Amino acid sequence: MLAINPNILSRFLNSISQFVIILSVFLICVAGVLIFFLENDYYQGISFKIMFIHVPAAWLSLMFFFIMGTSSIIGIVFKSPTAFTIARSLSPIGLLMSILVIITGSIWGNLTWGTYWVWDARLTSMLILAFIYLGHNLLLFSFEHFQKADFAASILAIIGLVNLPIVKFSVDWWTTLHQGSSVFKIGGPSLTTDYLITLLIGFFALFLLCFYWFASIFYIIIENRKIERAKLFND
Amino acid sequence: MRIIKLSNQIKKRFIFLIIIFFCFSFSIFLISYSLKDQIAYFVSPEDIRKMNNIDDRYLKVGGLVKEGSLKFDDNQWNFEITDESKYVIKVVYTKSLPSLIEENKGIIVEGRMGKDNLFIAEIVLAKHDENYMPQSAIDKLKEEGVWRGN
Repeated sequence: MLAINPNILSRFLNSISQFVIILSVFLICVAGVLIFFLENDYYQGISFKIMFIHVPAAWLSLMFFFIMGTSSIIGIVFKSPTAFTIARSLSPIGLLMSILVIITGSIWGNLTWGTYWVWDARLTSMLILAFIYLGHNLLLFSFEHFQKADFAASILAIIGLVNLPIVKFSVDWWTTLHQGSSVFKIGGPSLTTDYLITLLIGFFALFLLCFYWFASIFYIIIENRKIERAKLFND
Repeated sequence: MRIIKLSNQIKKRFIFLIIIFFCFSFSIFLISYSLKDQIAYFVSPEDIRKMNNIDDRYLKVGGLVKEGSLKFDDNQWNFEITDESKYVIKVVYTKSLPSLIEENKGIIVEGRMGKDNLFIAEIVLAKHDENYMPQSAIDKLKEEGVWRGN
């Protein structure tokens, strides 16, 4: 990542994006059919099926923040424009995923718990993550020179990394209304195999869709900078 | 492949970031450690038993609905909450329960302790666990005789 020229990475991402979106649409169709034909949960009935959007979106919002944070560290330490641009293009996608988590979680919560929102540790830390994403997005557009914006937003992303273990382990450290982890837990996943496979297919489908968005945003940012530079040169 | 030499500048920036990160995470740790009773969403019946002055305090109690205790009479729900300690809290609730409230399933009640150790609930929430399985899988487990639950 240090030695990669952003222009070369941009061209590479643009060349594979067609393939990624086709695979993603295919996997979304497969996941949709699987979710439709899956048996309902014995306790929650059909409402648990919202999990197959909620959980992948939650994993992705955490994963993207982790990638954003680490590439911000690399960007600041090694002054790497590629790392900064990766963080910049992941930011809106992560914001979208965290909003998706909160909306699907609220619907699920109203169907099962009997409330849209409570201030327990998991829900609150997830809301904080969404607000850090929002702040990161806004910081990226609040400076005249994008280098300054990248630096400021990177500091926020690095500080925000502290929140990731809190979101992940909040259900273990404190008592919460939110249930514990089903997949990454001691003693193996507490789902039946057909649920787990559907969940993983749903995750890869959403991941590839997000990767397509990431590749597109990365490409657009690099192309825009080329145009800006050309304008500057012509003046 | 370019060989990366760690210059003094790079080392300085890296140490700067590490210091920011650790100061911040340490402060977050201190805050959450000192507020751990407030961050916890509910207490168990066992904790209620150990508490001294709970009169008129707004409490959130979580546990399981005791088997055979869920009844509806006089236009109100009566049930008992318990946990592993077998300590029981009697609860009354006058509104309609969430659909997932069943005996031997998780529940959280919010409200105040009234007289005669009767908990008057203002909000009742259902707490489901992280196990998901279809009815057919449960039937199979029951056939094998390894199903623990109701």
